[in-house]
Amino acid sequence: MTSSEIVPTPPESPSVPASEAAGPPGTFTGFQASRYRRLLLLLSTVMVVVSLLGFLVNGMDPQIRAPLRAGLDFRGGTSIQLELACHDPGPCTTSQRLRLPLVRSVLADVQLEPAGDQQPAPALSSFNVQLLDNGEGVLLRSTALTIAQAQAIEEQLATAESLAPFQRERTQVDTIGPSLGVQLLQSALRALGVAFLGVALYIAFRFSPLNAALALGALVHDVVIVAGLFAWLGQVWDVQVGSLFAVALLTLAGYSVNDTVVVFDRIRETDRLHPRLGVIARIDRSIAASLVRSLNTSVTTELPILALAFFSGGELRWFAVALAFGIGVGTYSSLFVAPLLLGLLKKDTA
Amino acid sequence: MVRQGWLPVILAMVLAAAVLLGNQSLQLGLDLRGGHQLSARVLSPDPQVVLTATDLDGVKNVIQRRIDGLGLAQTRIQTVGSDRVVVQLPTVQPAPGEDAEAEATADDTLQQVANQITEKAVLQFGVLRSSEVDRYAALVQERRNAQVAVFLGEQQLEQLQRSRGDGEQRRAVKEELEASRTTFDQLEQDVGRLFDLRPLTGDDLVQVVAEPNLESQGEYYQLSLTFSAAGGQAFADLTKEVAADSNLRLAILLDGRSISEATVGPEFRENGITGGGARITGTFTLEQARELEVQLRGGSLPYETEIVEQRSVGATLGSDNVRRSLSAALVGLALVSGLMVWIYRLPGLVAVAALAIYALFNLAVYALVPVVLTLPGIAGLILSFGMAVDANVLIFERIREELRSGRKLYQAVETGFSRAFSSILDGSVTTLISCLALGYLGSGLVRGFAITLGIGVSLSLFTSLVCSRTLLKTSLFLYPALRRMKYFQPVQ
Repeated sequence: MTSSEIVPTPPESPSVPASEAAGPPGTFTGFQASRYRRLLLLLSTVMVVVSLLGFLVNGMDPQIRAPLRAGLDFRGGTSIQLELACHDPGPCTTSQRLRLPLVRSVLADVQLEPAGDQQPAPALSSFNVQLLDNGEGVLLRSTALTIAQAQAIEEQLATAESLAPFQRERTQVDTIGPSLGVQLLQSALRALGVAFLGVALYIAFRFSPLNAALALGALVHDVVIVAGLFAWLGQVWDVQVGSLFAVALLTLAGYSVNDTVVVFDRIRETDRLHPRLGVIARIDRSIAASLVRSLNTSVTTELPILALAFFSGGELRWFAVALAFGIGVGTYSSLFVAPLLLGLLKKDTA
Repeated sequence: MVRQGWLPVILAMVLAAAVLLGNQSLQLGLDLRGGHQLSARVLSPDPQVVLTATDLDGVKNVIQRRIDGLGLAQTRIQTVGSDRVVVQLPTVQPAPGEDAEAEATADDTLQQVANQITEKAVLQFGVLRSSEVDRYAALVQERRNAQVAVFLGEQQLEQLQRSRGDGEQRRAVKEELEASRTTFDQLEQDVGRLFDLRPLTGDDLVQVVAEPNLESQGEYYQLSLTFSAAGGQAFADLTKEVAADSNLRLAILLDGRSISEATVGPEFRENGITGGGARITGTFTLEQARELEVQLRGGSLPYETEIVEQRSVGATLGSDNVRRSLSAALVGLALVSGLMVWIYRLPGLVAVAALAIYALFNLAVYALVPVVLTLPGIAGLILSFGMAVDANVLIFERIREELRSGRKLYQAVETGFSRAFSSILDGSVTTLISCLALGYLGSGLVRGFAITLGIGVSLSLFTSLVCSRTLLKTSLFLYPALRRMKYFQPVQ
């Protein structure tokens, strides 16, 4: 099989690859991204600015030194989640549902033992109490509690006669010491930095330093926009970011680079096949040739994520939201932002 | 047709993976099966000195022995990073009918395990300095008063709680009780400081048994100690020294607190107490005595530890998570499969078969390594279904381009695979680079996710390149009826 060799065929050859057989340079009729360059780049600028505004509005979280709401993992603290027995299979009757004032009054009765000589028990009024699923569950958040303290609170809620019975088997308690939170964040950031560096080196080696810079630029673009969305979500719905969010950003970084590299690969191939075409035209063709593939891939990736968002709850659902949104942005940036900028910068240097 | 040689290899691998999964169950993480997890940080006595892996292992072994001593089933203990020991206690399913009781015991168990992780349990023996005899008598009196105050406070609080008395009064009593406990603890330490330590410690014990104290009619418990030969000799020397003066006392100290002081009768002035045994009496309850027994048997912890993380997941919540993530995985697979067949027709069907093989291989590798499956790990797996077909999407788009340009079917398939290869390789290598960095440097969730993603990317290279190519070409070779354009073109 001679055709299985990966040898670039010269444009004059009768066996031109399909996408390039569309006729002489002037008659290319596919989607020409460069025509919409201003619009596409403006859209990106607007999204980045809106994200940066979100960071400003949110203000700096001193604990994670980022303008996002740090969740339990990074900040340290305790969260206790309880569900009413009637929630499964549900729904609870109106009288069974929890109400915030009632939960607070039950909590006011708890006596917490101090953790040690220097650490008095946190005041119960400082607890963040949030109802879940229309009052069929409750989520308490506080500074880090000892095992005994957390158990005292769980016990108090479970035995309160003014509240409908809870299902103890569905209780979730998480306590993260403050020092551990900082450690988790630092290790995630360090890992991310090294990963970026490695990927940049590989792309610089396989393509060129300009490609590497642009792929990283597209990646930063995606990460900023997704983080911006969560800055706004933090403002509106008090959504907090934890380890899972960090994982989502890491995944998106991988996806974004992967997607960008595929388009770059196509550009490199077109450069080889049509050296006589202008830079912009070559890039337009490559974008058009990658368009269907990129859209199909992002749809096949989005479908399982949507299934995940549909079937999961709590933190995992926000994880799915971050991924779903980020893959959309990533597909957009690797099709339009990185290649169009490549066209601009290459033309200048040519 | 050299590549058809892959077919038996693929079939054999599928068979092996299926057999492996049939025989070896997957390890589920805490969030999927329910239970408790405690992470303790081991503190170096000097911030300048970094603990070595051996130091950390030493702590882990002591904790392991102690928790084995508690007789808890299926507990998993591991060291994590440079300074952490993680203890996992899976929920043991309670028999039906005793739910409430089992739950209560589980809560107590957690506290017990936490104590075993943090109590150093350094057992020492000391002799009262003769210059401190008077001060000792005064402190003992104070200590007795404090003990009585604690005892009364406990009783009062219990009564108030039983009668569900008014909250304000309960709070006051509780605060007072807390203060008495602190005073008592302080006095125990003060008393301990009046003694000079002797070369006999918990390391010299060969046997520790908690048993009822007969003199208290079984109300209190005592610990009877058996020393090693050297320990027995040291104890004899010690008792001989104390017996010389009726004002002197022998103290048994636990973590610097005196838990028992005794005189030694004049009859032991000659040889001391020989026989290599001693007992610690006091006012231990059964639970306290048992706890101390376990700590002394497991040995003392070489370093201070603190609990930095506690996670508890109810058992039902865990099985609920399994059910939900299974549904998400199956629905995700079905959606991706439907879409692929709809868009790509026959090649799409082949990609679905490759995806099924991918899912199977993934689970088999999880069982083999083994990878502990957690909720984020499953999320990563579900996500990777979409990414795994990416390579196939790239290839099939290429095949279509080749067909459009008028190539023959078989040639188009060959060219499609070979031309898509470089994009697939670059994409996978960049992802693998990030996985390596995250796996080495990340911790916790990040690390677990990097491992599952890395396994996924590597496997998808094999399934989407080798498996789908072999399957597609084999089916075209075996069934000439399939070699028709309409099986490759989109629905018009």
